[in-house]
Amino acid sequence: MTEALLSVRNVTKRFGGLVAVSDVSFDINRGEVVGLLGDNGAGKSTLIKCISGVHQAEEGEIFFEGKRAEFAHPIDARSHGIETIYQDLALANNLDVGANIFLGREVKKSYLGGLIKTLDEQHMLRESRQTLNSLQIQFPTLTQPIESLSGGQRQAVAIARAVYWDAKLMIMDEPTNNLGVIEQRKVLDLIRALRERGVPVILITHILPDAFAVADRLIVMHGGRKVAEKTTAATNTEELVQYMVGARDDAPKGAPETQREIPLPQ
Amino acid sequence: MTERGSRIVLPAGTSPSGLRTSSQRLALLLSRIWAWLFLALMILFFVIAVPLMSGGSVNFLTIRNSQNILVAIIPVLLLGLGQTFVIIAAGIDLSVGWVMSLASVLSALALRWAFDSGAPLFPAVLVGLVAGVGGAAVVGFVNGVIISKLKVPAFIVTLGTSFIVRGVAYLMSENTTVIGLPAGIRAYGNDALLYYIPGEGGGLYFLDRPEVSGELLRRMDTILPYPVVVTAFVVLCTMFLLHKTQFGRHTYAIGGSLQAAERTGIPVDRHIIKLYILSASTAGIAGFLSTLRFTAGSAVIGDPLLLSSIAAVIIGGVSLFGGAGTVIGTVIGALIIAVLTTGLVMLNVEAFWQFIVVGTVVIIAVLIDQSRDLITGRQRRNAAA
Amino acid sequence: MLRKQSLLAIAAGLALAVASQSADAAKIKIGFLPGVVDPFYQVMQLGVEAAAKDLGVDVVTQIPPTWGVQVQTPILDSMIARGDLNYIITAPTDKDQMVGPLKAAVDAGIKVITVDTFLGDGDYVKGPVKFPISYIGSDNTEGGRIAARGLAKAIGGEGTVYINSTNPNVSSVEGREKGFKEVIEKEYPKIKVLGPDYNLDDPNKATQQTAAVLEREPKLAGVFGTNVFSAQGAGAAVVNAGLGGHVQVVAYDATKLAIELMGKGVVSLVLAQKPFDMGYMAVQFAVADAAGVTSLPRRVETGFAIIDKDNVKDPAVARFVYQVPGK
Repeated sequence: MTEALLSVRNVTKRFGGLVAVSDVSFDINRGEVVGLLGDNGAGKSTLIKCISGVHQAEEGEIFFEGKRAEFAHPIDARSHGIETIYQDLALANNLDVGANIFLGREVKKSYLGGLIKTLDEQHMLRESRQTLNSLQIQFPTLTQPIESLSGGQRQAVAIARAVYWDAKLMIMDEPTNNLGVIEQRKVLDLIRALRERGVPVILITHILPDAFAVADRLIVMHGGRKVAEKTTAATNTEELVQYMVGARDDAPKGAPETQREIPLPQ
Repeated sequence: MTERGSRIVLPAGTSPSGLRTSSQRLALLLSRIWAWLFLALMILFFVIAVPLMSGGSVNFLTIRNSQNILVAIIPVLLLGLGQTFVIIAAGIDLSVGWVMSLASVLSALALRWAFDSGAPLFPAVLVGLVAGVGGAAVVGFVNGVIISKLKVPAFIVTLGTSFIVRGVAYLMSENTTVIGLPAGIRAYGNDALLYYIPGEGGGLYFLDRPEVSGELLRRMDTILPYPVVVTAFVVLCTMFLLHKTQFGRHTYAIGGSLQAAERTGIPVDRHIIKLYILSASTAGIAGFLSTLRFTAGSAVIGDPLLLSSIAAVIIGGVSLFGGAGTVIGTVIGALIIAVLTTGLVMLNVEAFWQFIVVGTVVIIAVLIDQSRDLITGRQRRNAAA
Repeated sequence: MLRKQSLLAIAAGLALAVASQSADAAKIKIGFLPGVVDPFYQVMQLGVEAAAKDLGVDVVTQIPPTWGVQVQTPILDSMIARGDLNYIITAPTDKDQMVGPLKAAVDAGIKVITVDTFLGDGDYVKGPVKFPISYIGSDNTEGGRIAARGLAKAIGGEGTVYINSTNPNVSSVEGREKGFKEVIEKEYPKIKVLGPDYNLDDPNKATQQTAAVLEREPKLAGVFGTNVFSAQGAGAAVVNAGLGGHVQVVAYDATKLAIELMGKGVVSLVLAQKPFDMGYMAVQFAVADAAGVTSLPRRVETGFAIIDKDNVKDPAVARFVYQVPGK
């Protein structure tokens, strides 16, 4: 069987006396969208941050592309191809689309044997336009500051940025919050477009209809633990809600969780 | 709505962006160029009013007067150039006035020491330059480290360092003007690229100050004194730095969204330190040039210039919230202040009116900055994305 | 150094000669650029304007809002750029830094007369700076000496005194400090001198500085304020500390406030300069020079009126108080 892209094994994260994530394990394979569900405080964001390098897990291991991964810093994770889109998007309002896509990774032109380096704006504009086209996103203008774009358009910029930089795994934290209905659907379309390109997506959301609309599998967390893992087709809203509020639990404490066999790297 | 595979179009109509009404576009255009218009109108006003008030004996746009204006803007402009970068990155540097004073004292002391120790004039001048700008850069470094690493607000840090620098400047100058500099440096501070003598017996001289006296000397105009050339060079460099390099782009990014800058891997702390070194260094150059011009180092010169430099930056369109502004805007702002001051003197109006006018223009500038937000529906940095 | 009375006589005589001789001489235009806005220079302006009216010349006045070469020089440059001034009467704000900018005025064909403060060492005949026509001002060193003797007498010949001054490298206050210290050293060795502190022409700062000294020197006996703002500020500090009458204040420059403080017993001695005369004479010199007179004295000392509580009510003395009509 093909190796999972991302393997999370028995990850635990504590903040002082509070256990935010407790003994969580799951896999992410290429080309699938996995919904990560749970109520507020269930530990979804913390778990994600352990994967993306913002936090370091105290116990457990994370494997990415078959190799042990210990990301000390988000930039670390990013350089391995794990792109995270947080709720605040990390965009600069006063810069245009191209500048945002290349933010922190600007392309430069060298003069005088490397003495003087200027921004290669033509190149960045061209590449941005190409990426947006490939994702079938169309903006009225690419050279105005993005402050005037709507929420959904800004999500699109954030996603395009991750795609441009060859994200191998996309993590999106509540991407449809604060969006109108039409824009929510557009973001979901983009997630599907990502899956088509083979980029797996971990989608954190508490909007169940969204999860059902795009996710292949659903993982539910409650109180820091993974309490359910189902394929989307095999479950429904009522069941999921029960898991989310803690009324049902597939792996109650003390009971051994069914593990899948994975070939550990040498 | 949209299905898999079909084009995803995000129409402009769903957001307050893209297509604006023509009156909105006009208002936006005006808000960007109002400073230029104001400058042009002001010059026009003085060109007309000065001869009127003086009964025809005085003209405003003479060669001499235009050069005076260029010389007059140098301190405010240099301070403002560094300040522009810092304010675009949503910071502020209140220490630049006293840093300029310190640099003036340091360069005078170093120059005098080098010359008295036997160095020829030009190397001694270079020693002065290094001492002045170097000392200033150290202050900038300290500012930057405290602001970025200790996370203390820039307003407070630079205010604090301004007091320390002031004390150091007084101490080093022993509470008096630093004099006894070699007479030759007056040429560095006051000679020019071109000399023009109109009329008979005159001509255009390049680089060599003509040895004339009497009537010819009276008619001679110096065009582009060296300090103006140096300042123009600094303007070009900062323009390039801000608009064409990654450094400039990152400066705008940090001002636009500190969080985005951090998340996308921009080395924010290091960048902030560089910004404050830059603003202190331009103040250092201003102090050095002042020492050359007056052939003396003085600890008291910088104080009134701080607020003028901030006024020039604001008039030039730099938003106090960060994230927006241009170098050319600051140049226009400094020009407005200098043209105003010069024009009022030539109209023989009391000097105090300049303060009233500059203050009014600053407030107008801020109001226009705010109104621009209303037009574009721009949200503030700390509003929800 | 010529004595004051004979000098005024000479100057007046010159002026009359000139006026009668060249009634149709070209009207000259004079620029007046004092140091800063304060009562001393405002009274000087009155003198300048009175002479201008009497002698039929035009005057263009610009008073810098704050003291300093950075402020005075651009104004000077603009006045030069006007192109219509024949003379500039100025109080240079730094005796070394203003040499260059004023030389530029001379190069442009404008002659310079310095009032109240001088350039270089004040000797325009043998000193390093020779281009101004003349220096018209008080003998500040002598004034400092008079102040020292007055203060020493008031405090009984011993104790600690403090000098509060305005700006460094300015000939006027520098001369006063020098004269003051000279006399104390030679004639009153038992008196200790603190300072000078520089308040940069800010009376509030003068008050702060003096208050600080009063705090840390409980046995301070006297204060010498070397000019308008220094004296005002220092006097205010003494009053605020409730030490009026115990700490003796000697004030240079007879502002109304200084005289008031004398009435309250805070200030024991006021040295009044004669700014009106300085201004008036400077204009006379300009007119005389324009008419071709070449024997103008290169240095004129305009003298003092020494005001203490005995003669402050005497109208002959009271007219030297710096009064500007309407203020």
